[in-house]
Amino acid sequence: MALTLSSALRKTWQTLSSIKTGVILIILVVIFSAAGTIILQRPMTEPEDMQRAYSPAMLRLLDAAGLTDVFHARWFVALMILVSLSIIAASLERFPNAWRYYARPYKSPDEHFRRALPTQAQIPVKDEEHALDAVERALHKIGFKPERIVRTNSFSVFAERHRISEMAVYIVHASLLLIFLGGIVDALYGWRGFLMLTPGHQSSQIELRTGSTRTLPFAIRCDGAGEDTYADGTPKKYWSKLAVVADGREVGNKEIVVNDPLVYRGVRFYQSSYGRTGKLDKLILNVTPAYGPRVNREISLSQNETVALDADTTVQLAEFIPDYVVEDGHVYSRSNEIANAAVRLVVTSAKKNSSVNYWLPEIPGIAENASSPYILEPKDLKTGVYTGLQVSHEPGQWAVWAGVVLMAIGLTFVFYVSHVRFWAVPVADSQGKRTLWVGGAANRNRDAFDVKFKHLVDEIHEELMAPPASAELETLKH
Amino acid sequence: MSRAKAEQQPATGTTLIVLVGLGITFLLFMAFLNVVKSGPILNEANLLYAALIFYAGAGALYLGFGVTGTESYIKFASLATWAGLIANTGAVAHRWYEAGHPPFASLYEMLLSFVWTLAALTLIAEKRYGVKVIGTVTMPVAIVGVVLMQLLRSDVRPLVPALQSTWLHVHVTLAMLAYAACALSFALAMMFLIQDKMKTESFLAATGVFTLGIYIAILTRFERWGGLNVVAWDADNKQEMFLSRGVRLFVTIPDLGWLMLLVCATVAAPLALYILARVKRNENFLAIANRAVFVSILLQTLALVFFLLRARDGQYTSLDADGLYRTTLAASPFILSGLVAGIFANLLYLLLLWRRPDLERHLPDADALDRITYKTICIAFPLLTLMIAAGAYWANRAWGSYWNWDPKETWAAITWLVYAGYLHMRITRGWRGRRAAYFAILGFAVVMFTFFGVTYLLPGLHAYA
Repeated sequence: MALTLSSALRKTWQTLSSIKTGVILIILVVIFSAAGTIILQRPMTEPEDMQRAYSPAMLRLLDAAGLTDVFHARWFVALMILVSLSIIAASLERFPNAWRYYARPYKSPDEHFRRALPTQAQIPVKDEEHALDAVERALHKIGFKPERIVRTNSFSVFAERHRISEMAVYIVHASLLLIFLGGIVDALYGWRGFLMLTPGHQSSQIELRTGSTRTLPFAIRCDGAGEDTYADGTPKKYWSKLAVVADGREVGNKEIVVNDPLVYRGVRFYQSSYGRTGKLDKLILNVTPAYGPRVNREISLSQNETVALDADTTVQLAEFIPDYVVEDGHVYSRSNEIANAAVRLVVTSAKKNSSVNYWLPEIPGIAENASSPYILEPKDLKTGVYTGLQVSHEPGQWAVWAGVVLMAIGLTFVFYVSHVRFWAVPVADSQGKRTLWVGGAANRNRDAFDVKFKHLVDEIHEELMAPPASAELETLKH
Repeated sequence: MSRAKAEQQPATGTTLIVLVGLGITFLLFMAFLNVVKSGPILNEANLLYAALIFYAGAGALYLGFGVTGTESYIKFASLATWAGLIANTGAVAHRWYEAGHPPFASLYEMLLSFVWTLAALTLIAEKRYGVKVIGTVTMPVAIVGVVLMQLLRSDVRPLVPALQSTWLHVHVTLAMLAYAACALSFALAMMFLIQDKMKTESFLAATGVFTLGIYIAILTRFERWGGLNVVAWDADNKQEMFLSRGVRLFVTIPDLGWLMLLVCATVAAPLALYILARVKRNENFLAIANRAVFVSILLQTLALVFFLLRARDGQYTSLDADGLYRTTLAASPFILSGLVAGIFANLLYLLLLWRRPDLERHLPDADALDRITYKTICIAFPLLTLMIAAGAYWANRAWGSYWNWDPKETWAAITWLVYAGYLHMRITRGWRGRRAAYFAILGFAVVMFTFFGVTYLLPGLHAYA
């Protein structure tokens, strides 16, 4: 029983770590992600659009299969976990060999290796010591650091460069796992939501995508928001001045724009939308006395605010109606959109103990504008704006960015850095003549390596020709 | 057999030259329509026009080499590519200067950069790796790109807030470099298949499937009573007309559907004959198939001309709304580029059919091509990786999340996975030659879908591109 269990385990491991499984998993991910882009996805589509696009039976089928939200479906997550496991298994399976190769470089080639190596040359020499010195000088010349290997029955020269390139593929795989890890952390502990603020207000309640609400340990106050446009009216910039309020005092502030969020304790606030609330912010009025000298004055009023016009008279903004309509002697608002606005101002005289309803625009039958001691003319109506902030908390993103950097490094080594090795061993050839065997290997970019090897052999020839004394001088110069 | 064909060829060759000549004249005429309005000589439109002339010239010289076998044509084609690249560089620089940002903000600007990169890489492949006739494949792609550009809206528009980011420029630069490298690896893989002694009739089948695919895609717009649906064009705003958010308004061009159906049948004929030849093991059918290719080119050109005449500027009825609506070529860039690409693919097949020995003489051997293809992908893959990473970083700053599973993102990841699959099969399984070449071709097909297909067929956040 135990035996079958262990063999079953081994079998599972072998299947998981095989390259075939990896490729099949990649193909499955490709197919399902492609399906996820072609079939409308619930998180991004309005329910009505879904119903318009598919018949009810079809929609039920797609929903049941999880195809309307592929990227959050359990089976897709399971597939991604399988991919991760496959990467881990494949890496672990091959890692020990690669590590042995990496940790214990093969420095002293035996006869069997020398025969099998594809890139090699034989140079006839007179003296072994002199030959190995020449090899060392030649290697120095092409930028390598040679190493004299002394074994009980042989001595040789070995030089290598970029051994790390043998491990590069594991760096890439590790970086991919790091990115997945970041994604998983964010899926489990991250959240995304929305916060709508109007200037002057603050809130710590975030409406989450899931529909629930999250209360932050601090509040965000909006100190202003706006939109800049180009001359042709296309939006140029949306901005919001935000302040972070914790324990009743301001602990930070920033003017955010699209592409430049505010970050506080791992929570990010992005400029996402901007618009008008339909509420009045400020009304600018031109005030002229109805009798006496015509002296103009400008005042500004917000909702319910009272401003003194002279020692005796005050004006108050009593009502703002964004879209007014008159019916049966009453004023109503049709909608919250500022389409056809009206305001009711109350002009009060303290001495006379009278107040007048001043309507702008003047509504016949209701307005008492004529009996007001001041003529009020509207100059400007400033309506309230809101700023919509995307809020997100993604604690895993640092793993993702670290993974990206690691992957860039790994890929650089995988594709552009090759592990180059050279060996030189004095041997006796078939006729018993003394020769120098020179061999080389590179794990990638063989064309460039062949050129380099040829160059090395030429250099060795040159060094062998040179008299020892001048050669030493040469070495000193380097 | 191929020798027999080569002897037959002069008569048909003249017809072909006339055909190609007409095609190029037509391209130049279309480009000219957009040039007349412009002022100073060295402006972007004129430079682009010059680039188009030179690229088309290079393409024509390659085809000329195909028809006559004159080897000096290849040298001149290379020179024309150089001239085109210089003009193209001027256009890019002008655009950059005018807009004040690198030219990556719209599909038009990205095509401009893409074509530039493609031409530059073509010259590198020619000079550095000795793949002299690579232009036969890349130049038609460049020509289609420039022609498409003539149709897309090209006015410099200020950047909307989401696009005001350095990361966007990094992202798109990397994308263009990666896609151009992918295009090159595709061309090299095709060259490899030629050098690998893949049978000429297999190319016939591939061309047939490709062209048939184009016409089937076009015929998805087939409307009752033989019409063809195209998107309506809003001339005031210079953009497609929408019924509601994301739903385009289609107008029906009468009778054009029948023509497309007819052409589709002629395009299917060589493929059917090829299959017949395979099933009956009768070589004679192949000879007929090759003639059928010729007929299909003529009819495809006819389809193109009619499409241009009917869709260039006209008012048609719509099934979804009352009244007449305008449409222009700019509203259907993909039908147009599909038609042009189909013609080019078939011309390239004829080039191969008639001049295979000459082509083979001018190409490096199969092994070298295989290695260069791999090297190109070794360049493309890290670029793709960095492109996705830069895009994710930008998305994180603009939308608050580094990965949204939006279709363009997903397809970029799919592209990455396809090339990752290629690299694994090659490095660990030792896939060389044919299978690797097929993989490289598949990779480029996915790239093209990510670049064009996703933008026009699937909904998503990448609405700017």
